Amino acid sequence: MAVLRTTTSRILASTRPSTLSPFLRRTYATVEPISNLGEAMSATQRPVSPKHTSTIHEPAQSPEARTKTFHIYRWSPDTPTEKPKMQSYTLDLNKTGPMVLDALIRIKNEVDPTLTFRRSCREGICGSCAMNIDGVNTLACLCRIPANTSHEARIYPLPHTYVVKDLVPDLTQFYKQYKSIKPYLQRDTKTEDGLENRQSPEDRKKLDGLYECILCACCSTSCPSYWWNSEEYLGPAVLLQSYRWLADSRDEHKAERKEMLDNSMSLYRCHTILNCSRTCPKGLNPGKAIAEIKKTMAFT
Amino acid sequence: MASIVRPSLLRQSGVAPAAGRDLRKRAPQPYALSKLNSSSFRTQSIASRILPLRSDVLRGIPPSMLRVAGFHASGRRPILPAGPQIIDGTANDPAPIPQPSPTHGSYHWAFERLISAALVPLTVAPFAAGTLNPVTDAILCATILIHSHIGFQSVIIDYIPSKRLPKTRALFWWGLRAATLTVAVGLYEFETNDVGLTEAVKRIWIA
Repeated sequence: MAVLRTTTSRILASTRPSTLSPFLRRTYATVEPISNLGEAMSATQRPVSPKHTSTIHEPAQSPEARTKTFHIYRWSPDTPTEKPKMQSYTLDLNKTGPMVLDALIRIKNEVDPTLTFRRSCREGICGSCAMNIDGVNTLACLCRIPANTSHEARIYPLPHTYVVKDLVPDLTQFYKQYKSIKPYLQRDTKTEDGLENRQSPEDRKKLDGLYECILCACCSTSCPSYWWNSEEYLGPAVLLQSYRWLADSRDEHKAERKEMLDNSMSLYRCHTILNCSRTCPKGLNPGKAIAEIKKTMAFT
Repeated sequence: MASIVRPSLLRQSGVAPAAGRDLRKRAPQPYALSKLNSSSFRTQSIASRILPLRSDVLRGIPPSMLRVAGFHASGRRPILPAGPQIIDGTANDPAPIPQPSPTHGSYHWAFERLISAALVPLTVAPFAAGTLNPVTDAILCATILIHSHIGFQSVIIDYIPSKRLPKTRALFWWGLRAATLTVAVGLYEFETNDVGLTEAVKRIWIA
């Protein structure tokens, strides 16, 4: 009965004009009639004279500003018929971090939010921000901005890749090729204890310089042979990974792995020009790995 | 205005969205533009004069495009057609693995290196020994021939993909074979009827 009474009293309360003060009566969001609004909101009130207010200036360029120009490749899939263009941005290096990726992030945050690029870890571990900076494929997060402000930086996407937008390349074929070399341990037999695939420290040492590859595609896209024949030639990065599994003492499908490479295109389009080793932002040597594969293929 | 009666061009400028760019290019000429803008009835009248002739082509083309097409006497041509941007299978399939063939793979590579390495002593030997032996000369000629044939083959494989350009690839492949055969015959003639390769180099060196 108590429940019923409270409900009825609530209904009644909503209908009858309340005797409470208007301040307490306002329990719901309501639209006040314009007449109730304060004088301050009225258009008839004259604004405060500028003599009595402070002025906010645009931030002035400091005299010791180190202004550097960045020319960045732009292409948008929204306007596919428009030609790609180079857009220039100027940044004060005193307000920018030391790396090219810092500059790009600053441009995106403060100047042009439409600029598109991949980035993730900003410390050279993920390989997302691979791009062509001043003619060299490298990771933007590991590339210092040259302090010389008279030099204008030029940033392009990875060469000879299909561009998704601005600095974002399409790496589908690269990842498909990586998948084709079966980059995982293949074994048919079990170890004695059936628990772990053990490896001696010497055998483990053979994988140094191979396992560190982060698949940023800097080396593959710097290779002219890969530019012309990326449909069939695997490219330095994938061959380095292929060798990583050929060199692994625990892997038991080496013959099969070698057979996969034993044709005209997959491996032997490498002509040892070593652009890959030169450009690798992690300091690895894909050229040597490819030479090792060729050696094992020739003499076994 | 001669091109205004070229239907292919009209269609091109009607389709090509770059037409807008050309309008902008024309913008610095105030006289032409103002004349065009003020006397749009003139283009209308031109269009109406052509309409009975090429009504099927001109229908659906706005008069602004007619105006743009009037300035272009030649068609727009891309430098080279873009290759087919196709990827085999879905994005999750591995790239196809070619059939293994050691004759084009590891054996070929080993043979190639062997020939290259053999060329070094073969080139030096006749001059170092100071004697002219027709047998070493013949071996040198054969090795050079094979070496260059393999080298040119490699160039063709690199630059003329058989998937995209099968006919061009076949043309160059057979062209190379013909060239190698011609050189082989020429070297044979030179060796049998003339002084031979080593002697020729020697004479040129001294001369």
